[in-house]
Amino acid sequence: MRYRVGKVTLPYLYLLSATILLVGLLVLPFISGIAMSLQSMKLSGEVKWVGLGNFLMLFRESRFATDVRNSLFYILGNILLSTPFAYGAALLISSKFKQAFVFRGIFLLPWIIAPVVSTVLFRTMVDPAMGPVAKMLSTMAGKQIIILSNANLALITVIVHSFWRSFPFIMLFLAAGMASIPDELYESAVVDGANGWKRFIHITVPLTSNQLGLSLLMVTIWTLHDAETIYAFTQGGPGYSTETLAVRLFKMSFINFDLNMGSTIGVILILISLVFMFFYLKLSIGKDMEK
Amino acid sequence: MRRKGVAFYVKESLVWAAFLLIAIFVLFPILWGLRTSLTPRFDNGFIPAKLTLEHYSAIFSRPEVWRYFGNSLIISFGTILIVLPVSLLAAYAIARFKFKGSQFSIVFLILPLLPAIALLVPLIAYMNFLHLYNTFIAVVLVNVVFSMPFAIWMLKNFILANPIGIEEAALIDGCSRIRMLVQIAVPMMTPGIVSVAVYIFIGAWNNYMYSFALSTSPLRRVLPQAILGFLGAWGANWGGLNAIGILAMIPPVFFFLLFQKWFVAGLFGQQLK
Repeated sequence: MRYRVGKVTLPYLYLLSATILLVGLLVLPFISGIAMSLQSMKLSGEVKWVGLGNFLMLFRESRFATDVRNSLFYILGNILLSTPFAYGAALLISSKFKQAFVFRGIFLLPWIIAPVVSTVLFRTMVDPAMGPVAKMLSTMAGKQIIILSNANLALITVIVHSFWRSFPFIMLFLAAGMASIPDELYESAVVDGANGWKRFIHITVPLTSNQLGLSLLMVTIWTLHDAETIYAFTQGGPGYSTETLAVRLFKMSFINFDLNMGSTIGVILILISLVFMFFYLKLSIGKDMEK
Repeated sequence: MRRKGVAFYVKESLVWAAFLLIAIFVLFPILWGLRTSLTPRFDNGFIPAKLTLEHYSAIFSRPEVWRYFGNSLIISFGTILIVLPVSLLAAYAIARFKFKGSQFSIVFLILPLLPAIALLVPLIAYMNFLHLYNTFIAVVLVNVVFSMPFAIWMLKNFILANPIGIEEAALIDGCSRIRMLVQIAVPMMTPGIVSVAVYIFIGAWNNYMYSFALSTSPLRRVLPQAILGFLGAWGANWGGLNAIGILAMIPPVFFFLLFQKWFVAGLFGQQLK
């Protein structure tokens, strides 16, 4: 009898510490975050319920529209650049080349370098006086170009930086998918006379679509949430031209300490994330079923 | 034996060219940073006329830099020390027990996809209330919470890969459950535990947002946060900024290169060794 009681409670006991941490520091803040987005604090410190007032205020701003647009560009730009590049890199590191392992290690470096450090590296390259990229652009244009003072160039620069950081992750996911494709499929395709491109389109792409979907969803979510990189790079400037929703949240909450407006943007970010999380869950459950 | 034809060599060199192109794209920013950190301040040449260690010695002559390194180490290892045992127990329960509610374990897979930045805002108020604002404990706890769901998910997969027969045999021999976990199950999954630890370390070491949100004291800054401060304060002192950037890069790159095989296999499946 004692054994049975032990057996029933033991799993819950094992899960206890993790659950306390997650409920206390993730679920409860989640709820108070929602509450805070519906409140406003006066200078006197008095807290007042304002319903959806904070949201309405945001939706009326042109700055908010810019934030949404920049988030969209930041995500789409990153994914559109990363995907073809990651496919190429994944094919290479999955090839039977002896040196593929060494190259894989090199290709993964951007993924494990701190965002603020890679920002230093990239800002050095676009520095108007010293940076090789800035000098090259200025020579091509025939006049001095200050990359980070130009709204479009600044946005392109933070997108390229993000692309540099995120393609390795998609590459690894795709390589994992490629490793699980049986060699016989390719062999019989060769017998049928399919060339390399056809084999890629008809075998590799469909059989890695699950991995592509999962990794792109993760990168989308990370890019949506990423404030660290852009804040270090441009602080959202010039003007608001590189300010994404996450950067706005960062500045509102941790620099201006307007926690209610910060929470409001936070709730918007959470709602958008939930959509992607739903698809992520669907894709990964589907993957588990196949096994 | 067939002789290798022209086509073979053409293909071979194309593959090499592709490898090198991507490697240049990846390495150029890093190598340029290294070059900048080793070049005197106003040397603009593509290949520097002379090399210097002045930027590094300038950094090490600042006592606060040692403190930032120390703070980052405390936070990273503090996080690992809490996450590992807590997640190991939780992962073991999910992997090996049948109990009511176990189907909800999928939650651990998607929790890390919530925006940490959005939850940090109410967490500032929480930590203030708990008198933990401006302490290492607050930053460690937040690191713990945001890395734990994924750690649980990964460890669960490693435990499932352990042969269950050995665990059962130990239990039949009268080994207690917890001793069995520590002395039998854990040693069988060293690669898994190491890859989770490296993952947590890299995440905690590289992050500045949690510390930025939860402490204002300059004494408690972590290294990336300090670099952010230098970026604002030093203007275009790229030699100094790159020197400290290269130094900050060393620990994660070192652990990554050392455990690359386990790390990659742990995250992306055993096929990728």
